[in-house]
Amino acid sequence: MVGIGILAVLAIAGAIGVITARQPVHSALYLVGNLLALALLYLDLQAEFLAVAQVIVYAGAIMVLFLFVVTLLTAGKEDREPPEDLAGQRAWAGIVSIIVGIVLVALAIKYPGAELKVALPANFGNLQGIGRLLWGPDFIYLVGIAIMLLSAALGVLVLNPPKRERQIERQLAAAARAREAAAGGGAVPKAESTNGKEGQGA
Amino acid sequence: MILQLVILIVKVILLISLLMLGFAYTTLFERRLLGFFQLRLGPNRVGPFGLMQPLADGLKMALKEDLMPALADKSVFRLAPVFSLFAALCVDAVIPFGAPIHLFGTAISLDIANPSIGLLIAFAFSSLGIYGIVLGGWASQNKYSLLGGIRASAQMISYELAMGLSVMGVLMLAHTASMEGIVLAQKAHGWFFVPEIIPFLIYYITAFAETNRTPFDLPEAESELVAGYHTEYSGFRFAMYYIAEYINMITVSGIAVTLFFGGWLGPSFLPPIIWFLLKVGVSMFVFVWVRATFPRFRYDKLMSFGWKYLVPAALVYFVATAAFVSGVL
Repeated sequence: MVGIGILAVLAIAGAIGVITARQPVHSALYLVGNLLALALLYLDLQAEFLAVAQVIVYAGAIMVLFLFVVTLLTAGKEDREPPEDLAGQRAWAGIVSIIVGIVLVALAIKYPGAELKVALPANFGNLQGIGRLLWGPDFIYLVGIAIMLLSAALGVLVLNPPKRERQIERQLAAAARAREAAAGGGAVPKAESTNGKEGQGA
Repeated sequence: MILQLVILIVKVILLISLLMLGFAYTTLFERRLLGFFQLRLGPNRVGPFGLMQPLADGLKMALKEDLMPALADKSVFRLAPVFSLFAALCVDAVIPFGAPIHLFGTAISLDIANPSIGLLIAFAFSSLGIYGIVLGGWASQNKYSLLGGIRASAQMISYELAMGLSVMGVLMLAHTASMEGIVLAQKAHGWFFVPEIIPFLIYYITAFAETNRTPFDLPEAESELVAGYHTEYSGFRFAMYYIAEYINMITVSGIAVTLFFGGWLGPSFLPPIIWFLLKVGVSMFVFVWVRATFPRFRYDKLMSFGWKYLVPAALVYFVATAAFVSGVL
């Protein structure tokens, strides 16, 4: 019970850190802390495979990709925030959240939760249990998600095909022509193209 | 209960000291071997055969000035090498170093923990090791460090996939993910490198990439990136990266031995733990041998090799093993 409390505090602290950190990289790190705390909570539920999958998939793969992008985009940038557009929204947000909090506490007092006394099923959350779920009754969802993810990956390739070399050459030639036209050399277009070819040959 | 706790603490301390000692003498082993491969002597001045060289190196590292780049993100800069070393040390907790021994009337297994998903835990911790490198590269605020960190993250994510797929066959053959269970299964069915030779080769190639060793040491390619992600690190913080790299070498060798070469198994004229260490030693020799032999890959070739050859090959063998184990074939 004490362990759950500590982990809950860590998870919440991580979640708060994500939205309050000024640096995107710090936000990502707080999120990693949050994910690790969640993994330990799974472990506390005896769901060892879920815990490890959480670490491998979320902390080990997805967050690394996040960091990959964030480090590329934020290197050398200052972490000052731009001035806020909506003046006074912070005060309103505070008032609304206090009202929501009061409502939630009132509801909790009016309808106290009954203690759940459900025995965990055999193999709950371990390798065999998850495997039997995924390859048994839930197989259709697994296939559905697999197809969805695959089509998303293929979609990226279709919408964003790698450029062929000839295409790139044509674009470069067009850019060079535009530059010369802007320079106002006054040369005949035909002569330009032969010049370009000579330049490439050399 | 108290006895169990004491045994656990002693085991943790022993494991960490063994790994640190292993790291220190792996550096010497590597430098001497590289010397012989290149027809020179290597470090042989400090003590007999240069055996005191690691001590001298360690002293030098500890006494060096700890530099902090002016523009660095200080907290992340300090955190990154610690993260690297932490992840490297944790993986070894699930590797069984030998058969259980009997002391004080209780059986003591020679691993810190033997969870039913030991192999996956090892992979989880090793996947966290990337953070140290990426964060170190970013926090230094230096373009070479940043490029090294970004290369490292792309490379390790790509190769981790092939690595994970290559060990799945072993899981299916052993019917368990516990490291000790895998070793015991090999006692019954023979060592798994025989039926799983292609996954073993894939695992071993990806292990070079995961540990950033030649020929996959692109993140620290000195001819392009100065020293890559640890360019700005000095003194003990640099040493932590260095230690993490060598301990990772020991770890991937230990996992390879456990999964494919029978772990501690061997003829009974030597104790099991010696067999394990000998096998790991052979694997370390191969690591150094490859470093002395192969030139570095070009970065785009490295990525296309990983995605276009290793992953499909691992997938095909994975499906074939599944068909074999389930009795379809």
